[in-house]
Amino acid sequence: MSDTLLEVENLRTVFHTEKETIRAVDGVSFDVERGETVGLVGESGSGKSVTARSVLGLVDEPGVIEEGSIEFCGDELVGGNWDEHRGDIAIVFQDPMNSLNPVYTVGNQIKEALRIHQGLRGQAATDAAIELLEDVGIPDAARRVTEYPHQFSGGMRQRAVIAIALACDPDLLVCDEPTTALDVTIQAQILELLDELQREEDLGVLFITHDMGVIEETTDRVNVMYAGEFVESAPVDELFDDPKHPYTKGLLASIPGRTAGDERLPTIEGEVPTSTSEPSECRFAPRCPHAFDACESVHPERIAVGDPDADHETACLLYDDEFEESPPEDGVVADGGETA
Amino acid sequence: MSRARYLAKRLLMAIPVVWLGTSMTWYIIFMGPIDPATRLLSEGQVRNPAAYEAAQTQLGLNQPPLQHYVDWLSSLIVFDLGRTWLLYQGSSVNALIMDFLPRTLWLGFWSVLIAIFVGVPLGFYAGMRSNTVSDYVASMGGIVWRAMPNFWLGIMLLAVLGSSQAIFGVSWETLGPNLTSGISGNPDLSYLAGNPLAFFTNIDATLEAIKKVAPAAIVLGSASMGNEMRIGRTAVLEVKNQDYVELAKVKGVSDRALVYKHILRNALVPLVPIITSEAFLLIGGSVLVESVFGINGIGYLFFQAAIQGDLPLVGTLMYVFILMIVGINLIQDVLYTLIDPRVGLEGE
Repeated sequence: MSDTLLEVENLRTVFHTEKETIRAVDGVSFDVERGETVGLVGESGSGKSVTARSVLGLVDEPGVIEEGSIEFCGDELVGGNWDEHRGDIAIVFQDPMNSLNPVYTVGNQIKEALRIHQGLRGQAATDAAIELLEDVGIPDAARRVTEYPHQFSGGMRQRAVIAIALACDPDLLVCDEPTTALDVTIQAQILELLDELQREEDLGVLFITHDMGVIEETTDRVNVMYAGEFVESAPVDELFDDPKHPYTKGLLASIPGRTAGDERLPTIEGEVPTSTSEPSECRFAPRCPHAFDACESVHPERIAVGDPDADHETACLLYDDEFEESPPEDGVVADGGETA
Repeated sequence: MSRARYLAKRLLMAIPVVWLGTSMTWYIIFMGPIDPATRLLSEGQVRNPAAYEAAQTQLGLNQPPLQHYVDWLSSLIVFDLGRTWLLYQGSSVNALIMDFLPRTLWLGFWSVLIAIFVGVPLGFYAGMRSNTVSDYVASMGGIVWRAMPNFWLGIMLLAVLGSSQAIFGVSWETLGPNLTSGISGNPDLSYLAGNPLAFFTNIDATLEAIKKVAPAAIVLGSASMGNEMRIGRTAVLEVKNQDYVELAKVKGVSDRALVYKHILRNALVPLVPIITSEAFLLIGGSVLVESVFGINGIGYLFFQAAIQGDLPLVGTLMYVFILMIVGINLIQDVLYTLIDPRVGLEGE
């Protein structure tokens, strides 16, 4: 048996609205292996969360997975087979204020998962729930287990959500911006907790965020998402040392403190377009400082770049030999990090 | 704060509300532009100083206002409601209320139940299947039902039921429990007097009383049914897309448990005030329906007292209404604490 937990192939999730069909996720492919953390990064509206929801089978009307396959441990999930694997894939949502049902105690919600996935009931379930709360670092767990979500702080709630996820005994944990709604100190604690649990349980983690700093800390492999597509995929070190796609470079350059000397932080002008049709151009071209004529008429394919051993791919015509335009020298527009 | 303490606090807070409402009633009735004593007397007697004097004395209006206010209020508190002046002249108000109130409560109870057991499930059903044909049918039905005026619906229903033999070939009067006293009129609740358990033991009488009041209850409940349907639909729509519902789904909770455990209880929270506020409407708004269906309820009594100028009776009935409304509010608070743990735990 291979160690690959999740294999997503050419996934396309679209939303049929009255006006148009929005391609929120447009042909993405990635794998998550046991014990590995795969990052999905991109700005708001790039399709990160829809990717996560597709993996979890949470895409509802008017959304539909139009194409592609999602294999979990070798089983195809697309077509409604999520029920067989419920609990094997757990999720931590962005907003801990909203992730817990306000009318049931935290203990009740953990026990519900314990009953479904581990067959525990009564006192055994309560004990297991207390143990889980202790595992995620909630003090005084025996009392906390009988409390309601509104009696927990934001960080505590996120810990409780993680406890629920663990109660399902999952193989894969999807974290959809789990620290975005938390303050920085709590964020660090939660990231540390996730890291610890991942090592203990040998979990695969799909980590979604728009925070490059968090990506650098937590992930093994990064996929940079833009307008529903992966524009660059690379191991985390490779990506930070040698980013290829102008969008990745822009994202890295806009992290405060990475670009020494500049008074103003570089930004990427404009916003993510909404993809409604089959791409015939590079979707980033309107915002790209290096765009040339062909970018308007050719949709870039993913090609191998950088270190040949690193499995580093990008979808950018600058690196395609068919086109004459050559990649910019590092440091010309958006510095990749060497000067930091 | 424990639930008992929360309730005790609520009960204490209800006292000023009752006092204020009752005081305003007293002021409007006894200090207002209409002299209650004049209203009680016929044209000829008003000009007779002796008769007028006697009426004033009997009403206590020749006392200083403060003295009258204190007397009036204290007799209300101990439920010494006195006797009527014009309506059912000279009968005990306590007895009158005990006679009329059960009919209204019976009518109100069934119409609230119909609204809850038809409106809420229909709304939840529509919400769970939003933007499908069944949702549109249920929603449209709710709006149409909501839009029909009570009095019109009542008359139509009576007309149809009255000639049900000709229209449907089945007579409403003989369908099920026999309605010997006609399709409209007072439900016979005398069998419950002193023995509320007869509701369960004397099933025949209960069924007959229900059947008697059913058309009126449907009419009275129709508007609230529509409201509850709309609110129920919105509440479900709002709750079913919450993160915690999706988290439960990812957790592997079955669809059935997802609906019954995670969605419905949360969707009930916004429905509670709608249901209870409609319970007031049913009590106050039952006047029209009670007149159309010929039910001598407390709404009808209040209406008659107001029309005929029996102002002391109006004041007394106002007091009864105030108590009922405050009581329903208390029930609402209890329901809140039962459904939503966040209520009642503030200000610890």
